Amino acid sequence: MTPGELPVEPRADTQKATQHRPTGARVLVIDDEPEIGRAVRAGLRSVDFDVDWAANGEQGLERATQWHPDVILLDLTLPDMDGIEICRRLREQSQTPIIVLSVRAREADKVAALEQGADDYLTKPFGMGELIARVRVALRHAAQVTGTADVGSARLRVDALEIDLERRQVKVDGREVHLTPTEYEVLKYLATHAGKVVTHRVLLNAVWGPTYEADAHYLRVFINQLRRKIEPNPSRPHYLVTESGVGYRLRDFD
Amino acid sequence: MLVYESPSQRVPLLTLETLKSARHPKNPNHPSHSTPCPRSRGHVIARNVCSKQVTYTASAGSFMRTNPTANLQARARIWTSMFRSDSRGTWLVQVGWVITGVTIATMLIGVVLSWKHISNISLLYLPVVLWLAARYGRGPAILASALSFLSYDFFFIPPVHRFTVNEPTEWLSLFALLATSLALGQMTATVRARAQEAEESQTQTETLYRVAQLIAESGDERSLATSLTREIVSLFGVNGVLVCDILTPDEHGALTSIAHWSSIEDNALDHTLTGDPSGDGRYALLRKPLIAPGGVVGQLVVAGFPSLRQLAPDPFSDASSVEEREEHMPNGNVDSQATVFSAVCDQIALALEHAVLAREAAHVAALRESDRLKDILLGSVTHDLRTPLASIKAATTSLLQNDIEWSAPERRELLESMDTSADRLNRLVGNLLDLSRLEAGVAQPELDWSLMSDVVATVLDRLDLSGQTRGHPIEVDEPADLPLTQMDYAQIEQVMTNLLENALKHSPEGSVITIRVTPQTHELEVAVIDHGIGIPAGEREAVFDKFYRVQRVHSSWSSSRPPTGTGLGLAICASIIHEHGGRIWAEETPGGGATLIFTLPLALDRPQGALPEVDGQAQETHR
Repeated sequence: MTPGELPVEPRADTQKATQHRPTGARVLVIDDEPEIGRAVRAGLRSVDFDVDWAANGEQGLERATQWHPDVILLDLTLPDMDGIEICRRLREQSQTPIIVLSVRAREADKVAALEQGADDYLTKPFGMGELIARVRVALRHAAQVTGTADVGSARLRVDALEIDLERRQVKVDGREVHLTPTEYEVLKYLATHAGKVVTHRVLLNAVWGPTYEADAHYLRVFINQLRRKIEPNPSRPHYLVTESGVGYRLRDFD
Repeated sequence: MLVYESPSQRVPLLTLETLKSARHPKNPNHPSHSTPCPRSRGHVIARNVCSKQVTYTASAGSFMRTNPTANLQARARIWTSMFRSDSRGTWLVQVGWVITGVTIATMLIGVVLSWKHISNISLLYLPVVLWLAARYGRGPAILASALSFLSYDFFFIPPVHRFTVNEPTEWLSLFALLATSLALGQMTATVRARAQEAEESQTQTETLYRVAQLIAESGDERSLATSLTREIVSLFGVNGVLVCDILTPDEHGALTSIAHWSSIEDNALDHTLTGDPSGDGRYALLRKPLIAPGGVVGQLVVAGFPSLRQLAPDPFSDASSVEEREEHMPNGNVDSQATVFSAVCDQIALALEHAVLAREAAHVAALRESDRLKDILLGSVTHDLRTPLASIKAATTSLLQNDIEWSAPERRELLESMDTSADRLNRLVGNLLDLSRLEAGVAQPELDWSLMSDVVATVLDRLDLSGQTRGHPIEVDEPADLPLTQMDYAQIEQVMTNLLENALKHSPEGSVITIRVTPQTHELEVAVIDHGIGIPAGEREAVFDKFYRVQRVHSSWSSSRPPTGTGLGLAICASIIHEHGGRIWAEETPGGGATLIFTLPLALDRPQGALPEVDGQAQETHR
């Protein structure tokens, strides 16, 4: 499949989609596998997203500049370019949320992509429901960053977990939970990025500073303690989930 | 380990073919699997060829068989060897004893004769001859006989102080003395030689027996070689051997030391051993190719005091002179030590060849087994891959048919079947990939300090998400403060997933599955306990084999479900856990069901620190 012949179909489809009902947000799918492109397109369109597809990195970067998508789905193994490199170059252009798609057992790639600016990742094969949920989370975060989000002034709420940023107070099920200042900072950081994966390094750097970036194992112990305070059942975390080999995510329930 | 790199040390290898063909040069059809009896002609020739490989650090190179002076020198050696004999003295000392003995006897006879004439007084020489024959063998005895004859004639037979004899009858007594003493000396020397031979042969037998015993006891090639080098240093220490090395060709054909034993620590000795010219010449080196019926299998190198050169087969000798030499062997144990050394080397060669053959046989068996497994794999995979594919294909083509109007529940059923089949296919492909990675050894665990509670939570989360835990209450029983454990997170997650999927698949809906994590002193124990159909007692080990599926007795709740296992899940678990240095096994759950338990080692030096408390406000500036 040469890069030249591919854009024809997606663009034609895009136009068709535009004719349809271009109400939803724009999602750019960069994946060299046409069947994945087809299935993702069909799935996302069914929930009113506007979808375009690029079959390689070069095309993907080009479409990203011309079409201004709201979310980019990026496969990490593309024929022409390294996925991490694409991630980096997309970030140079804009703050468009990037969701990385990759196969299992490539944790290092995921971490690298997340640290190069990707917002989230999904492991192939994935269910359409999960993909749609992740795209929605990414869109919401983008809105918070660019829009008039009230981060820093109001309270964050994740299911029955409430964080009062003003009074530095945390409540679970309306009952106040006493956290140490560090625990509070960790929770706050995760909550402001609710639904997103935060890598060990990013979290350590954000809360403890760059000197502690390599102490992922102590972070595991720390998170374990934090769970005992905020989780109804610490063995089966409801809010603070571990992303294997990558980091943590505070679940988003919207 | 010493690696020998000097080019000269590769000589035996380069001449490997030469050596093989030289073993039986007179008869090319000679069966190459003849027993390497130390006395056989083939062996002698082989040893001669080997002897050309012998290099000395001090002497100037090796001697060729064509050396014109060699034969003369050999003959000279035989004559000197009559006096040289053994450690009890050189020939000078022996001549000294001969003269002393004869002088004392002569003086004694003089004293006796001055007192009274006794006709057969010359018999007093006989004890001297007897003693010399018993102590030093034939040569000194003959010398003593001749000396006795001459001194008796000179001092006591008239005319005194001349070597002439007046009375012809005196000739008789003189020659009687000579004949008696020669015969006596000869007989005594023979008896002595026999006794010595018997003693030596006993020592040789004991030596060879010890070596044979070592060979029989030792397991693998390396430990065998190590004990052999130790034995050689101890056996031939009397000959000056201080260090012994056994070298075998590595995969590139270069000789590499597989065993090393040294009785002393000395850098100069190591230099000698590695053939480093900077060795100070105090020590000598001897290399001996190890020749088995199948060819050269390696090289034995000994280094130590220069006296160890006695162990080398005589560099002058050829086939005929060896026979001559053997006649004189009883005269000294040096040659016999060389013979024993040679025989020991042959034994070592045989043992090494045997080890190599055994290893090759094991390799072939492993290949055959792997072939068999591939056949099973192909069969199993073909079936397991096709089944879900077939149902996906059937469901999609059904839905794609234009002329059929599917009702909503029908459509949903077809779609659900596709979903389930796709999951099954995904699991199978994942398992196959895992297994091939593990088997290829590319999936070495990347160890990191993690918490088992994280693994359990992640796995349960994923199984919840995919709906696999539906209808199964899962209990997690773990202490609040689990220790950090060294593991490859992704791999242990895989183990946990496989064990849980196994438990879910084989237990009835509504039955509780318990995950119990128990830290012990040296290991962390994780048990997955179900109350399902369990594993029959006889199959609890086999379930960890590849492609093994328990021969199910269909229970009331499972009869409707076909077995969906790939027979790989537990094999993957076992492989991962073993790579982590842990253990995995199956037990029966009290009251019925299966309990699968694995352990991971708990390092005593695990990180014990913690992240510091930080002031939240101060860190705001970081992001």
